[in-house]
Amino acid sequence: MPLITTEGLTKRYPGSVTALDGLTLSLEPGIIGLVGANGAGKSTLLRILLGLLDPTSGIATVLGHDVATDGAGLRRYVGYMPESDCLPPDSTATDFVTQMGRLSGLPASAARERAAEVLRHVGLYEERYRQIGGYSTGMKQRVKLAQALVHDPRLLLLDEPTNGLDPAGRDEMLALVRRTGTEFGIAVVVASHLLGEIERVCDFLVAIDAGRLLHAAPLGTFTERTGALAVEVEDNAPALAAALTAAGLRVTVDGRTVLVELADDQQYDAVRDAVATLGLPLVRMQQRRHGLEDLFQ
Amino acid sequence: MTGAAGNIYDLGYRGYDGPRVGRRAVALALLRQTLRASYGIGRGGRAKLVPFGLGLLGLLPAVLAVGIAALVSQAGPGGPDLEEASPIRHDTYQGLSATIIMLFCAAQAPELFGRDQRYGVLPLYFSRSLGRADYALARLGGLALAVFALSIAPHVVLTLGAILAASDPLTGLAKEAPDVPRSLAISVLDAGVLAGVAGVIAAWTPRRAYATAAIIGAFIVPPIVVALSARLAAGGLARALVLVTPGDLLDGANAAIFGSIPDSPAVAAAGLPAWSYLAAASIGIAACVALVLRRYLRITV
Repeated sequence: MPLITTEGLTKRYPGSVTALDGLTLSLEPGIIGLVGANGAGKSTLLRILLGLLDPTSGIATVLGHDVATDGAGLRRYVGYMPESDCLPPDSTATDFVTQMGRLSGLPASAARERAAEVLRHVGLYEERYRQIGGYSTGMKQRVKLAQALVHDPRLLLLDEPTNGLDPAGRDEMLALVRRTGTEFGIAVVVASHLLGEIERVCDFLVAIDAGRLLHAAPLGTFTERTGALAVEVEDNAPALAAALTAAGLRVTVDGRTVLVELADDQQYDAVRDAVATLGLPLVRMQQRRHGLEDLFQ
Repeated sequence: MTGAAGNIYDLGYRGYDGPRVGRRAVALALLRQTLRASYGIGRGGRAKLVPFGLGLLGLLPAVLAVGIAALVSQAGPGGPDLEEASPIRHDTYQGLSATIIMLFCAAQAPELFGRDQRYGVLPLYFSRSLGRADYALARLGGLALAVFALSIAPHVVLTLGAILAASDPLTGLAKEAPDVPRSLAISVLDAGVLAGVAGVIAAWTPRRAYATAAIIGAFIVPPIVVALSARLAAGGLARALVLVTPGDLLDGANAAIFGSIPDSPAVAAAGLPAWSYLAAASIGIAACVALVLRRYLRITV
């Protein structure tokens, strides 16, 4: 059974803003990245999948439930972490997550146990007895993730989970998302406008732009090797490029980096010799991969 | 978890295979949480101050009445029948506690309805098994139950006091019995009308201070309009307005239920039939429920 299917899904807001434009998708369980610029329609898609928003036309199913007719049935098994602030500052994390567990259908004692469990899982320990108003952004994002996990959903929909986090907080949140998807077998859809993040956590990628599907494929196919070697030197890249051209290689210079077209392994030797002969400080040699950025060009 | 050898194991994440309750039980859980929150239970001490303070204030006349009755009965038989002489009776209590209940609504309804809107919590509710209508009804029902408790509590004190003060508890009970359904009826109408009006305003006014002011306004401005229109010799208008003024409407309903004289001069002057107050209260409650439902069915989250 596919995790999510949509067919001709369209959402128009009043004032002729089209957020989704005939989106047709079929996604299998896994960690799925939903990527697009701000305003591409990512949040709109997630909210339609949750039944928070009605589509203008088209149909969508989640875990086999029709979004339009069986919203309550599917929401039992879905966890949602919205992009915006959604936490009452005068409540403690424990109380809040417990209440959200109860409202997801857990009996009272189970809700308390699960709240303690998921808060520990997201890395909140003693702090969970303090009021959320005093939390840092990173801690709030963790509470938001915890409330989405409290009822042990089969599918997590995360909308920009690293919003507002510093680099260390980003790394931790991405690691949590990755663990949740791989270790617990919960399917995850992560919406983000940051391609670098998607690249790090997802197996499958859906790129949308202006409400239309751009690409949907396993991540690997986006980032195959390009057959170019990037050689970065401290200075005098033009001299290196000249030497390599003289040795019969095809090169282009990009700042301090010389891009060498690879045909076989002998070219590595040619690069090594040229750098050694010129006595250049070599910073790195790396096989170039297609960046996800290429998608949007 | 500590094992037999005292080792600590990290069990990692565990799924949940236990029972899950249905939509109705979820809505009841929210109703219960709303009822508790309206008395500040589960919050800090400061949150309890206003609801419990108002609750005690509302009980005070009943406690006084019972105490005085007990003192008088100590003086022996043959004394004046206090039940008749006292101004604090089942049929007069609505007038005594109406203001306190209105203040309770003005203080607590914005907390119950506005908080989730202000802090953006609604998407989290609506993305769970709870429906939008369930949420609206659970919140309004919780507030109404809280108001009902506030309204019925003094009647319970009066009844218990009368039974205990009577020479024979059974006689006391027999004397009180007719007032039990009447007290229940006026408390239900109190809860429906006052929680309904406060709920509608709070649901449509997320900002707390505005909502509180608007609720107080809705309770105190209409009587002024009624008085003015009566003064300006628009008698017909004043009579109709009595039915849309929460305080007067309940005063009239109270007089209708107990067969007593209304408190408010405007109600007395209007001279409307008893059933009109009960009908207007029922229509008003239905309208309030519909407006709260409409708010949450349409709100964008």
